[in-house]
Amino acid sequence: MNSAAALRIQIEHALEHRFPSALTPVPRTYRETASTGIEGVDTLLEGGFPVGAISEVAGPESSGRTSLALSFLAHRTQENCVVAWVDAEDAFDPESAAANGVSLRQLLWIRCRNANGLVRGKPWTRLDQAIQATDLLLQAGGFAAIVLDLGDTAPEHASRIPLATWFRFRQAADRSRCCLVVLGKDAYAQSSAAIVLECLSLRAKASGKTVLDGFAYEVRRERHRFSPSASGARKQPASSWSAMSNWTREVSS
Amino acid sequence: MNEELYICAHAAEFPAQALVRLRPELQPEPIAILEGRAPLEVICSLNRSAWRKGAACGMTRQEAESIAGVRLLQRSNETETAARAVMLECASHFSPRIEDASYGTACSLVLDIAGTRLLFGPAESLAHRLRDALASVGFHTSIAVSANFHTAQLKAAASRGVVVVSAGEEASALSNLPLSVLALPAAHAETFAIWGIRTLGELSALPEVDLIARLGQQARQWRSLARGVEPHTFQPIEPEFTLKEFCEFENPIEQVDSLLFVGTRMIECLVERAAGRALSLASIKVQMKLEGGNFYEGVIRPALASSDRKFLLKLLQLEFAAHPPQAAVLSLTLVAEAGQSSKMQLGLFAPQTPEPSRLDVTIARLRAIVGEERVGSPVLEDTHRPGSFRMESFAVPARSATAKAEHPRIALRRMRPPLPVSVTLQANKPAQFRSSEDNYKVTVAYGPWRTSGCWWSTESWDDEEWDVLATTQSGLSVACLLVRTNSRNSWRIEAFYD
Repeated sequence: MNSAAALRIQIEHALEHRFPSALTPVPRTYRETASTGIEGVDTLLEGGFPVGAISEVAGPESSGRTSLALSFLAHRTQENCVVAWVDAEDAFDPESAAANGVSLRQLLWIRCRNANGLVRGKPWTRLDQAIQATDLLLQAGGFAAIVLDLGDTAPEHASRIPLATWFRFRQAADRSRCCLVVLGKDAYAQSSAAIVLECLSLRAKASGKTVLDGFAYEVRRERHRFSPSASGARKQPASSWSAMSNWTREVSS
Repeated sequence: MNEELYICAHAAEFPAQALVRLRPELQPEPIAILEGRAPLEVICSLNRSAWRKGAACGMTRQEAESIAGVRLLQRSNETETAARAVMLECASHFSPRIEDASYGTACSLVLDIAGTRLLFGPAESLAHRLRDALASVGFHTSIAVSANFHTAQLKAAASRGVVVVSAGEEASALSNLPLSVLALPAAHAETFAIWGIRTLGELSALPEVDLIARLGQQARQWRSLARGVEPHTFQPIEPEFTLKEFCEFENPIEQVDSLLFVGTRMIECLVERAAGRALSLASIKVQMKLEGGNFYEGVIRPALASSDRKFLLKLLQLEFAAHPPQAAVLSLTLVAEAGQSSKMQLGLFAPQTPEPSRLDVTIARLRAIVGEERVGSPVLEDTHRPGSFRMESFAVPARSATAKAEHPRIALRRMRPPLPVSVTLQANKPAQFRSSEDNYKVTVAYGPWRTSGCWWSTESWDDEEWDVLATTQSGLSVACLLVRTNSRNSWRIEAFYD
């Protein structure tokens, strides 16, 4: 044993009552991932969204956030899992979900609404309902994925969600092994999010300038806490993917 | 083995017992039950505390009100019927042959227990178990066991606790009972009083021939009863298995929490009765009579039949929270439907799914937050109308059958309700449009795609859809579904592509 190793053992032994294994690095844990069903995004995320953590998909309107989330849910329902969509602004389209292959029978859809009475019209009411509903679903357990859709909620309102709430969601998702995917115009969960994806550009594909065939999207990884790659390895920061319109036929390769 | 053996469970003052059964807080109080029309109401039943305070059957309301501390309640036939069914249900766990021998304000059930020794042990042990079982559903009873039907009935009515009359000792067991237990006609009762005959023992000692010569053939039956040798043809009743609990309140209840106190006890009784037949509760119908003549009805239907009291009570609480009664409650009825106790077979490699009972509570809570019709699974309608679907209640399905699309499809984000816009056309195509929130300059517009249907009904539609790529004032590119209603020439943003 060389002198450095002996010295390390000596220091660790001296500090053992205060800091167990003070100089030994913490073993890296590999998180289970769930595929998003989009090859480019899976490559970017090194497997998909992490199970038991919060993943945020942020971006402006028409940036492919919803298509990405639906593709992910479709993949989860194919594995016979049960999923939920907490819809703060009641914007979910069941036809699009079915077209993406989401089994609607395995989907619990919660449509928030404007509350009656004194609080009518307050933007907080829908957001409050969405947070309460997500909390209940996470506590109930058994849902493989929950999408908290704040895609149309104004960032000035959604950013006021307390950090304690996100921390609680993170703990509950970890306990119930649920992928909590948050769609929004911005990233809100801050340090509680394991992954932040930013959806960026939009380019339409058209055949002969008459029919819309689909869109090409770009997605950029802003944060990836549980990356299984070695810290020194070079990570690809962005990827692109495309979504076809419902009326376009798939061409088998 | 063929020897006759009967056990009688006698619940005295049944109207009072039935009313306080579901309300334990009333049990220590002096209670008197009134019947008849106001102002001619009289006391028909009372508990021991009220009797100690000086109340008695036959007293008028005014007389009863003059006794301090006695609580007066109105007699409820519905409550008594429900309570009698519960008592019958409980007794049927010990013998299938039961005869209802009730009279006056007492509820008396006689069970044929011949041949039950191997099941329940000696008759005394059975008597104690029956008494405990009845006490657990809220009835205080006296029990008597005898080989003679009438002896068991008379002894139970006249004694307290458990009495076992051995075969051949019926006459001595009945000898001390007063003559009034035979409910003789007034004229004959007076005759016996003149003769100085006050107990059954004295009556049985009289010579039979002389007694019949003076009072007629009926005197023979009285003497046989007094000696405990009167034969009886057993007439068993067949109790219908209905899980129903009813409670009528003397004052209208406005607080939901107060209802839950009664509801807890009712659910406990229902679960216990169902468990007695190895069943669980598949659904509970909640009926309430409200002040003003209205009725409230709701159904609690867990995904799996359950015997979990706390879980069912939580569902009841959430039902009250989601649909609070619109007026004060006069009576509460719970009618349960029994179902087989469910067991779920879990697979080692099956994916995790929500626990059914927990999911029920979660969905009920979600409904309380966002509304009844806004939680569930969407089901697409069989129509070409864009955006049509209906909501169905969510249940964890056994297996999925949908095939995943090989390639992601573009998704829509619906505007509910659609956002009206004013559109400027150029060469019959949208060039720019303006909503209450923003101005959009169209880059490319694909369309129009015409869609119409249901022309034969009032739900007809005739629209023109445009897939539009536009730029907002802030320079953001968006793609949206712009729809023009041909009949009104109005434009709206139906959805955004995302």
